[in-house]
Amino acid sequence: MLRVMLREFRLILRSPALAGLVVVLPLVMLLVLGGIFRAGIPTGMALAVVDLDRSALSRDITRMLDATPEVQVTHQALSLTEARSLIVSGAVRGAIYLPQGLERDIIRGDRPEVVTFYDNQHMSAGSLVARGARNAVDTALAGLRLSVRQGQGEATVQARVSTQPIPLQAHALFNPAFDYVHFLLAALIPTILQIIAAAATAYAISLDFGPGRHPQVLVRMAGGVLPAMLGKILPYTLVFLLILGLSDIALYGWLDVPLRGSFWLMATGAVFFVLGVQLIGALAFVTTRDMGRAASIIAVITAPAFGFMGLGFPREAMAPLAQAWGAVIPGTWYVQLRIDQSLRATPFEISVMPVLWLATIAGVLCLLVLLRLIRLRRALEAGA
Amino acid sequence: MSVFIAALRAELRGIFADRQVRLIILAALVIYALVYPLPYRAELLRDVPVVLVDLDRTTSSATLARQVDASEAVALTHTALDMGQATRIVHERAAYGVLLIPEGFERALLRGQQSPVALYADASYFLMYQRVMQGAAVPLRQMGAEVEMGRLIAQGTAQDVALAQVSPVSQIEVPLFNPAAGYATYVLPAAFVLILQQTMLMGLALVATRRARGVGHPVWLLLGRMGAWTALYALVLPLYLVVLPALYGLPNLGNPWALLLLGLPFVLATGLFAQCVAALFRQGDVIQVVLLALGLPFFFLSGFAWPVEAIPSHLNAIAQLVPSTAAIDGLVRVTQMGATLQEVSVALWQLWGLVGLFGAIVLYLETRAQRIGMQKRVVA
Repeated sequence: MLRVMLREFRLILRSPALAGLVVVLPLVMLLVLGGIFRAGIPTGMALAVVDLDRSALSRDITRMLDATPEVQVTHQALSLTEARSLIVSGAVRGAIYLPQGLERDIIRGDRPEVVTFYDNQHMSAGSLVARGARNAVDTALAGLRLSVRQGQGEATVQARVSTQPIPLQAHALFNPAFDYVHFLLAALIPTILQIIAAAATAYAISLDFGPGRHPQVLVRMAGGVLPAMLGKILPYTLVFLLILGLSDIALYGWLDVPLRGSFWLMATGAVFFVLGVQLIGALAFVTTRDMGRAASIIAVITAPAFGFMGLGFPREAMAPLAQAWGAVIPGTWYVQLRIDQSLRATPFEISVMPVLWLATIAGVLCLLVLLRLIRLRRALEAGA
Repeated sequence: MSVFIAALRAELRGIFADRQVRLIILAALVIYALVYPLPYRAELLRDVPVVLVDLDRTTSSATLARQVDASEAVALTHTALDMGQATRIVHERAAYGVLLIPEGFERALLRGQQSPVALYADASYFLMYQRVMQGAAVPLRQMGAEVEMGRLIAQGTAQDVALAQVSPVSQIEVPLFNPAAGYATYVLPAAFVLILQQTMLMGLALVATRRARGVGHPVWLLLGRMGAWTALYALVLPLYLVVLPALYGLPNLGNPWALLLLGLPFVLATGLFAQCVAALFRQGDVIQVVLLALGLPFFFLSGFAWPVEAIPSHLNAIAQLVPSTAAIDGLVRVTQMGATLQEVSVALWQLWGLVGLFGAIVLYLETRAQRIGMQKRVVA
């Protein structure tokens, strides 16, 4: 088996296709993804103001909007129609409507309407814009309400108490820096590695077991089909674990994503994750004996896997079928483990569950591959 | 002209006669159409479970808890005696937030003092955090406004004046498009465009690696192949971007002509891009793996889910070379936001620009290949 492993390492070094797939491709992906999310939370998203009031107050609100980090007032629209067209064409992500007579109506106590329109088709950007606009208007108006009460002779402190009887102290559990960016990155890297590891393992096996190849040579060298297969798989396990480690060094070391949990739990999970994913690739190939079809199976399982992990739309809110499908994909559990151990500092006895799941998935896949290998050996013996 | 028709027929044969290509271009489209939307079928996040830690145990605290529980976004599903116990429930992912009402909540309210409550929301999941904050903030603000109004009225202020003083303007937020903030409505229209591109890239690149060298003028050869893609995707694209979303109940505001006119350069640019990919990687198996790995990066580079404002400019420049970047933006605006062709003209011209760029590259490659082939024949 060791001889097969050494031969495999030499093969990786000699074959540009193989080296490209298992080393260059993942590294390029790391760089690209790191680049996309490096800048952090988006700021300065374009906003149009439809200011029909043109009063001191409306200018105040516009200034507040500009001072909000999320948004930037880039357009002054003359009508709602114009603002809508700006949103549809993508020139701005939202518009705020300040009606005529705004300041006068407020002073009269007529409660005029301030309307924020935002593009919720692009939900991530749209909700940021809406939040930024809401805060800016709130700030501008809080000043106004305070000054009204002060004008009635209330002391500043008392006025602040009266305008907010039940203040909400909002706290973020686990992720105080609201670091979604690096969190997304920490999940995207395993997702892409899952695709590459499964496909590259299938490809490597196809180089020896594919049509027109001579697996007999390899089997004789290793002394059996199983050691031959292990010798083919394990070198890539090492390579992918190294790449995963490298990405973790970048994430936790360079980008300062917090790591609050147990390193050993993460490492154990990583080993089962990589093995499980590779076994998906191996199983796809030994079942079909054709790289094209194996790639299609791998594509169907791994390409949509990101959605099932629940980073955008949470797993708990999915239909049972979607939850079940997500549960058989190794990446789901590995990403959960990473979030538990990095952001949430989940206690060991809760966080050990995903590791057990990963081990179970890898075990079952291993069994299935073995069953196929027994049939493969018979076929090989019959052929020899 | 005969070269054109021969190339068109050869390309169609290359697509339909090859089992693997058929599998990718047609079967995979169907499978993805079933699998991809599966996680998002629920659309909305309702009644996110939250733990209640009520240290006050008074009528006011119970009222507050009831109002929070009544909101659509969250439900108080668990109660805990202290924060430690509550945090554990959140660790187990049985709940995503903790509402802590401190001791003395009612007393402070009655005395006319500020009476804060604390909300701990699980910030490791963005959508959950948003929902928990929303779900609790609205009833809290309402109850706060009621308390303030009550105090003002008690001081002898008239009710309408009190209301105007508590909230001098009514702030209204109007989500244009996807008003219910449905997750499927948000993500699927863009995902379908990307799936279309990735399967087309994979399938057509495989065809390119497997076809015999064409005979005839390169321009006619290329036009013939482009004709084949157009004919095939004139059927597939509307099915995938109009019929399929309709089956999932997604809104469609788009003008079909705008969709087709934008779809044409998208299909051509993607097909030509596939020829470049094929020339670069040569081996079918390698092409499949590379394109598989590129799907998610292409999606995030397109500036749809991750706002383009946050993507570094050099990466954004590279992203503009991928057809999906302009296509997702343009097609989503047309189908989901009812944009006219004029409103998406930037995307439209960008796609035609890509057609020109990739077309020139492919023509150069084809001409060179023909010349080398000729030289070899002369030498032989």
